[in-house]
Amino acid sequence: MNSIPDNIHGAILISIIDFILSFVIISGIGVLLALLPLANRYWHIDEAKLKQGHH
Amino acid sequence: MFEQLSSLFSALMGQTGLAHFWWGNLVMIAIGMTMVFLAVVKKFEPFLLIGIGFACIVVNVPGSDLILPGGLFNYAYKGVALLIIPPLIFLGVGAMTDFGPMIANPRLVLLGAGAHLGIFVALILAKLLGFTLGESGAIGIIGGADGPMAIFVTMKLAPHLLPQISVAAYSYMALMPLIQPPVMKLLTSKAEQEMGMVQLRKVSRLEKILFPIVIAAVVNLCFPPVAPLVTMLMLGNLLREVLLVNRLAETAGGGLLNIITLVLTAAIGSTMTADTFLTYRTLQIVGLGLLAFVVGTASGVLTAKIMNLFVKDKINPLIGSAGIA
Repeated sequence: MNSIPDNIHGAILISIIDFILSFVIISGIGVLLALLPLANRYWHIDEAKLKQGHH
Repeated sequence: MFEQLSSLFSALMGQTGLAHFWWGNLVMIAIGMTMVFLAVVKKFEPFLLIGIGFACIVVNVPGSDLILPGGLFNYAYKGVALLIIPPLIFLGVGAMTDFGPMIANPRLVLLGAGAHLGIFVALILAKLLGFTLGESGAIGIIGGADGPMAIFVTMKLAPHLLPQISVAAYSYMALMPLIQPPVMKLLTSKAEQEMGMVQLRKVSRLEKILFPIVIAAVVNLCFPPVAPLVTMLMLGNLLREVLLVNRLAETAGGGLLNIITLVLTAAIGSTMTADTFLTYRTLQIVGLGLLAFVVGTASGVLTAKIMNLFVKDKINPLIGSAGIA
């Protein structure tokens, strides 16, 4: 926050930047989530085996 | 003889807290009692409000040395001040959370971004009221509806405001069932409220295991300042989803979370002393926090409505209100 002036203009500036960044960053996370199903094509985990416990 | 008795009595009184009692203590004790009442009678977040309310009552009894250096509540507060407790709470929350619905419907994460508006409206208004930018940011985060996050951010930006902000954050979280419905009803039609949503796809175990690992890696890479919280959230979730270490997952989301909650509530309540809490600033923070919650709820609902303009499978706008958390 050091580069943002500690006044109302700074508050508005940081709010606008962060609000836009919220959408950008969260959209990025959304894209990652949307890509997760691709992993199913290459790898499969057997739930039944997991539930049996470890060695 | 009378003078001796009188001086003895005065000395005795001086050793008790009665001599230091002022109306502020009475007000804070009443606030603590109200919290306990809301928890016990109205069942508003009893896990949090009972401990906070009780600690608030105790520390406002003059003479109590629990918050002084070496006092039990002082050690509890150190766990908050050193930012140890909030990440441990996130560990427990992660162990209790099923992220499957979010993984199945990734576009829902946008509701979280939309609901951030409340944080920024409160931030700007706090600045207008004369708070510093750091204080304004800490006040705005009340609108994130996330107690540990509010504590974490406040300790980074404005640690002196921890009592007011943590109490406002947890109180509004407890009062969500009262705050959100009027806003949600105001912004949606009857048809929108009854709108059905398509069945979500089944999320594989592999996806559920990859999710916490990927998110923890991305957050540590891109956002180191908040990494402790999200990393622990994801670790807790990984313990849950691997199905191999149920004992650890149950401890993180059960016993450990309960212990940490006990310490946290004692720590927060112990900061509510009359001299620090009964100020005009506190009223402003409480008001701004409420505004952040209301605007965040509204913007979450409106974000869902805007998304419905562009997508085939409509979203019930009411779930937009969950975006604030």
